[in-house]
Amino acid sequence: MTIPGPVFVVGLPLAVSLLLQLLRRWTAFMAWIAAGTAALVGLSIALSPLNETLVYQEFGVVLGQPLYLMGRELVVEPVDRLPLAFIFLTAAGLFVIAWRLLPHSNFFPNGLTMTALLAAALLVKQVVYAALLVEMAAILAVFPLHEPLSSRDRPQPKPAGPDDDTVPMETPSAVVSTEMGRTSTLLGAGHVGRVKGGLRYLTYATLALPGLMVTQLLLEWFSLFPNDRGVLQSATLLLALSFAILLGAAPFQSWLSTVATDGSPPVVTFLFTVNIGTVWFMLLAYLEAYTWLGAQALFGPLISGVGLLMMVLGGALSASQRHLGRLVAYATLVDNGAMFVALGTRQAAGVALSVMMLIARPLALGLMTIGLDGLRRMGGGDDSEAAMSGLAWESPWRAVAFIMGGVAMAGFPLSLGFAARWGLFRLMVNDSFFQAILALSGSAGVMMGVIGAIRILLTQTPLHQRAPYRDDVIVLILIVVLIAATLWLGLFPQNLSSLALQMTEGFTFLRP
Amino acid sequence: MSPFILWLNRLSSLASTPAVWGIFLTGAVIYLINEWRVRFLALVAQYFFVGILFARIFDTRPELAVLKIVVGWLICGAFLISARMRERTVKEQGRHWHWSANLPFRMLLLSAMTVVAYLASQRYVLPFVSADLSVACFALGVLAILFIGAEENDAVVAGIGVLNLLAALDIFYSSRDPGLLVTGLMVMVTLLIGLAISYLTVAEVAE
Repeated sequence: MTIPGPVFVVGLPLAVSLLLQLLRRWTAFMAWIAAGTAALVGLSIALSPLNETLVYQEFGVVLGQPLYLMGRELVVEPVDRLPLAFIFLTAAGLFVIAWRLLPHSNFFPNGLTMTALLAAALLVKQVVYAALLVEMAAILAVFPLHEPLSSRDRPQPKPAGPDDDTVPMETPSAVVSTEMGRTSTLLGAGHVGRVKGGLRYLTYATLALPGLMVTQLLLEWFSLFPNDRGVLQSATLLLALSFAILLGAAPFQSWLSTVATDGSPPVVTFLFTVNIGTVWFMLLAYLEAYTWLGAQALFGPLISGVGLLMMVLGGALSASQRHLGRLVAYATLVDNGAMFVALGTRQAAGVALSVMMLIARPLALGLMTIGLDGLRRMGGGDDSEAAMSGLAWESPWRAVAFIMGGVAMAGFPLSLGFAARWGLFRLMVNDSFFQAILALSGSAGVMMGVIGAIRILLTQTPLHQRAPYRDDVIVLILIVVLIAATLWLGLFPQNLSSLALQMTEGFTFLRP
Repeated sequence: MSPFILWLNRLSSLASTPAVWGIFLTGAVIYLINEWRVRFLALVAQYFFVGILFARIFDTRPELAVLKIVVGWLICGAFLISARMRERTVKEQGRHWHWSANLPFRMLLLSAMTVVAYLASQRYVLPFVSADLSVACFALGVLAILFIGAEENDAVVAGIGVLNLLAALDIFYSSRDPGLLVTGLMVMVTLLIGLAISYLTVAEVAE
């Protein structure tokens, strides 16, 4: 029996995710099954030839064989292979990271479903179906993003010292409703009821939908009336707007910071890597498929301008940031901006650099996630300066993880992000020295934010002169492994840069 | 075409203009009255009116219009359960029925936006859709802006805004491409958004 590739790539994770919904009691089992499934699909796509049959007992999978669903074709094309491998392997890595951070979470089944939907969005050719699948993945992200901790999984409040005047974590019984319908607490600390991030992400993802769906109508119109060039301009505008919203480009960046402030850190990382990565590859695929899109005169300057704006804005906001969660968001904003700038150079090397930044992101954000998750738990769910002060003395490894991740996101030396950013600055200097300096200032802003975080975490206060926080050994091992990987790839980025080049070989739209 | 479908088409074409204004009216109720029971009833009515408009789009397959109404009502049910759970948890204070805050401002804004929606539907004629469906699209879009913009602290109202936006898009897109696959996916997206909003409403107080 021969199975078409899309059934394996989309159907298998969907089937496993249904099974995982029944196994939420066993976190380790759930996490490793999810990671194993994602890794299996990712590695199969990356390593197996598309037209050969992968045989398992009586079943054979031909990855390159198309699947027709109600007349619509889903097919794994050569250009989709590495993007698909990227999203599946990144998802697998994040499931492993979340294993010890999110006990009994619906992140594992939902994450697998989201990955399958996003993969389907890459496989389907019509914009409208891709848009609806991305929207579904965005909606599913809301559930783990704001998952309430069960009483068993809730972090225990810190033992109060003699001078401890901090406010304990709220309990639901302490919640009251105000006249405006806003939920606040009797204690006034305000950490209950933070679901704004999910709501805003949902809203923004839905706002991006009309542009993409109407683009489909315009494309059909254009195929009937090819002389109507005005349709193409409208389509370009709508596509640009929708992708700007989905990628959190300025001025639509507010969902990034709200999600990072309110959401569960591993799920936030999933959104910033797998979801944004898929949308980025969709953008590249559309630029490849609709050559008129990249041929618009404004394309290069507009993309570069928006990217620079994102870098400068993100850098400025990072430098002044005292909330660790928001620092993650603004560092991502700068990174997204750098990817836009790289694409706006209209050079094949620029596309490769943008993909390299995307590959580097899971490692950096993974480290920040592990660090932030632990620090936020110790801060009673809060990541403000007051709650984070001196926590590096209680949990040094979590602090180191956050800082190392931040340095990598800033694109500073000894991290994988550095190679990509350095390449970008060199590429930019050839065109405009001023723009290169502006871009560099964005990275510097993130680094200043990280230095601010170091200062907060190292602040010695009497409150924190207590015994160190006892951390999970497996989490510590994960931190060490991720730091080692970041340093190793930062010192020897050749393999990854060649992989990035390989990933962009299929995108020929910027070649002369 | 069966006599039932002919009869239904005729009825829906007669009822479509009142349905558009019904959408406005129910939206106004949701916007102006801060009481979940009233809002629930208004949303149920709004989905009925939206269903009447879908009956015009799916003129040969009225079961799809019925499906849209059923999905809308399922979402209303999910909101109802969430609101009751939330009420039990947060111990709502005092009165059951009260106007929204800043009522005069809201009334002014709603009136202005109603005029804007009507004029926009006259000025910018949407392709593929009839005049009354065009007004409905603009009305739902305007209500979505009002709900999302003014009520971000209330997950249900902001969620209704998102659902209104989706309904506007659905009416517009389905008029051009009333295919089963797009309709099915839109139904799934609508249902998922409803569930997500319902979940957020409960998670807001359960965290």
